[in-house]
Amino acid sequence: MSHIRKLIVAYLGLLALLALTVGSSFLDLGGLNSALNLAIAAAKAAIIATLFMHLTSEGILPRLAVAATGLWLAVLFGLTLIGQ
Amino acid sequence: MRSSTESVAFDTKAREKAADTFGMWVFIGSEAMLFGAILLVFLIARISYGTAFAAASQRLSLPLGTLNTAVLLTSSFAMVLAHTFTASRRWRPAVWALICTSLLGIVFLFVKAVEYGREFKEGLAPVLGAPFSFTGPDPTHAEFFFALYFAMTSLHALHLICGVAVIAGMLLLWPGTTEASRTHRVQAIGLYWHFVDIVWVFLFPVLYLINR
Repeated sequence: MSHIRKLIVAYLGLLALLALTVGSSFLDLGGLNSALNLAIAAAKAAIIATLFMHLTSEGILPRLAVAATGLWLAVLFGLTLIGQ
Repeated sequence: MRSSTESVAFDTKAREKAADTFGMWVFIGSEAMLFGAILLVFLIARISYGTAFAAASQRLSLPLGTLNTAVLLTSSFAMVLAHTFTASRRWRPAVWALICTSLLGIVFLFVKAVEYGREFKEGLAPVLGAPFSFTGPDPTHAEFFFALYFAMTSLHALHLICGVAVIAGMLLLWPGTTEASRTHRVQAIGLYWHFVDIVWVFLFPVLYLINR
């Protein structure tokens, strides 16, 4: 039962973050708007990955796959943006 | 005697589950590279044509985009409930949670179709030979914004359609499957569904919330 309660809290947290990201877009924060929106998106993704996808509780292999993905995405974005 | 694993390739259930999960995460990694590449194109274009992209983004419907984000987050919640119920062998609530997940996926697709219809009517859809008319700064690059918007959201919608189809197929086959295979299937489709949700979590602010 407590597991389901934890999932409900995570779900409500996701909806709160959605409200926060939409609300913040009406404030003029200059360059901070985009950074804040991406930070909130990353927080939502982290909640979904850890609590809904059990990323951190199924051994080392899922984390290894995510780390490899992160590495290749960093190469893709890094090498492209370095020339901008 | 029937083996406790689904496949003869594994000695124990735990190894089979670890291999299943790892396989899905590697697949999700390859999908992340696909969406990552398109997001990168968008990012570069946004850096280069900021004014046109900001003006074009204002024409998208923020209420419908926000509604759809909430719908998809709710569908992910229903999916994780299905996974939890399956793990504790409560089959009836698990089936209902899967039905809710796929229905919410269909609601998302319906709202997206309404949005697309609105954009076609306003002449903001430079796809399928439809006329494009944009009154604002730099219409050429605004057209590029809408081309990328349609590419990204339709690729995402295609993934969601596949997810709904797989859940529907799984539910059709449900009565004839073993309990162990149900657990594996719900786990695999669950990972996929949550990933498609995460993609939207990034697409939403990137497309709808630029300099609003």
